[in-house]
Amino acid sequence: MTDTSTTAQGAQTIQLSQVCKSYGNYQVLKNIDAEVTRGEVVVICGPSGSGKSTLIRTINRLEEINSGSITLDGRNIHAQMRAKELNALRSRVGFVFQSFNLFPHLSVADNVSMSPIRVKGVKPDVAYDKALKLLDRVGLADKAQAYPGQLSGGQQQRVAIARALAMEPPVMLFDEPTSALDPEMVGEVLAVMKSLAAEGMTMLCVTHEMGFAREVADRIWFIDAGEIIETATPDEFFKNPKHPRAQRFLSDLRH
Amino acid sequence: MIHDMIAIVQDYWLLLLIGQYPNGPLGGLANTLILSALSIALAFPVSILMALARLSKWRLLRWPVTAVVYFTRGVPLLMLILWSYFLVPLWTGADVPSFVTMLTTLVIYQGAFMSEVVRAGIVSLGSGQMDAARALGHGYFGAMRYVILPQALYNMIPSIISTFVSTIKDTTLGYVINVPDLTFAANQVNNQLLTQPFQVFLLLAIVYYAICWSLTYVANRLERRIARRRAGVRVGNAAAPAPVTPKIATEQL
Ligand SMILES: Nc1ncnc2c1ncn2[C@@H]1O[C@H](COP(=O)(O)OP(=O)(O)O)[C@@H](O)[C@H]1O
Ligand SMILES: [Mg+2]
Repeated sequence: MTDTSTTAQGAQTIQLSQVCKSYGNYQVLKNIDAEVTRGEVVVICGPSGSGKSTLIRTINRLEEINSGSITLDGRNIHAQMRAKELNALRSRVGFVFQSFNLFPHLSVADNVSMSPIRVKGVKPDVAYDKALKLLDRVGLADKAQAYPGQLSGGQQQRVAIARALAMEPPVMLFDEPTSALDPEMVGEVLAVMKSLAAEGMTMLCVTHEMGFAREVADRIWFIDAGEIIETATPDEFFKNPKHPRAQRFLSDLRH
Repeated sequence: MIHDMIAIVQDYWLLLLIGQYPNGPLGGLANTLILSALSIALAFPVSILMALARLSKWRLLRWPVTAVVYFTRGVPLLMLILWSYFLVPLWTGADVPSFVTMLTTLVIYQGAFMSEVVRAGIVSLGSGQMDAARALGHGYFGAMRYVILPQALYNMIPSIISTFVSTIKDTTLGYVINVPDLTFAANQVNNQLLTQPFQVFLLLAIVYYAICWSLTYVANRLERRIARRRAGVRVGNAAAPAPVTPKIATEQL
């Protein structure tokens, strides 16, 4: 099951073991066991309501879990710890939301540079230069002074990626980053994600973009009703899905 | 009648403006404005703290403040003023100047009202902004300070001005505990003239109306401006906002 080309690069980065989470009586995540190794790109897919967002949000503890553990480079994210430690841990995991969640009161450049300044104590001019570089990288150098409300959805999502990268996280999480976009803007966001993957970023992406999954993912996790019921390389998964529910999911996607 | 009123202004403008100062305490319009400005300046941070307490997941903080807010909003201001005036000296044994009593009462009263506005402003932002801030490593207070409150408070500017307007009107109630404000001064004038109550109090009404109307006007202007800004067109930008709108429209098609 483990992909040798990625394990060769180093230790595990994210390890989930026996993760359970419930909302009231409703169990959303059931005994999730999984790991992501450094430099690996994992695509999480599964039907709507299966717990994909919940799963990815537990990894930077935007959601609490009821039992089990999630470690990032050996540190248990869900252990009892001071708020300060948790914030430091969180800042090491970039998160990109479906709905962008840019800060509408700040210019694009300030969106990107604010957290390095306020959280990490980076000097404002240094953070600002870095922000401009990151914006250039996502193709938005000319929008630095614009406000989020003036940008298209695709542009906003690229700013959101730059904002997450500004904290220099070793891991990036994406929760359906292109689902809120008009079809013609999906490509520009996926292109940025592909370039990140090509540079060796460890990435966990919830997405229905199967083209992206096929091309970029090292592994696919198929999740259904709160369980990871199949993990496979894209080749295996698309050519020969083992689980009947994965087969049905794929055939539904094609129609 | 107009002549009477002009004569009143000519004879008593200083009393109406600053009360008996420097021979007595500062009063008149100056005191009304100072009392209003101080109340709003203090009620503003108080309202933020109350809103945060009401949104806190910590019951020991949430419940008492919620009780205070409900109580304060549910009783007439005049009753609160009389309570503070008679009960606080009784409890503390201290001789509190009526100005301070009035100020404290107004701060709590307006703080409670504004806290509901702040709370609504925070809640209306939705959880996405907080999530984004937390995901970037901001703590609760950092997220509040740099992400949530700037947006919530910016949207609140018109309500703050409306509160300021109602505070100015509310200061008139200080009359019952002898706070020397504009109303108090007008009453002094009336007591000296004896025969022109209508003129005196019409003058008083005109002054209050002029102040409150101008502030309401400013609030409405700001409200429209903010509404436009929220729609994505920035007013304060040096760059002409006009070309921006069609661009957004076409790109989002
Ligand atoms: N805050 C919540 N309270 C109660 N139920 C929730 C909450 N968030 C999500 N759920 C439920 O948990 C399930 C999984 O949700 P989610 O992780 O968002 O699924 P997905 O991202 O795969 O569509 C859904 O059935 C959803 O209704
Ligand atoms: Mg989801």
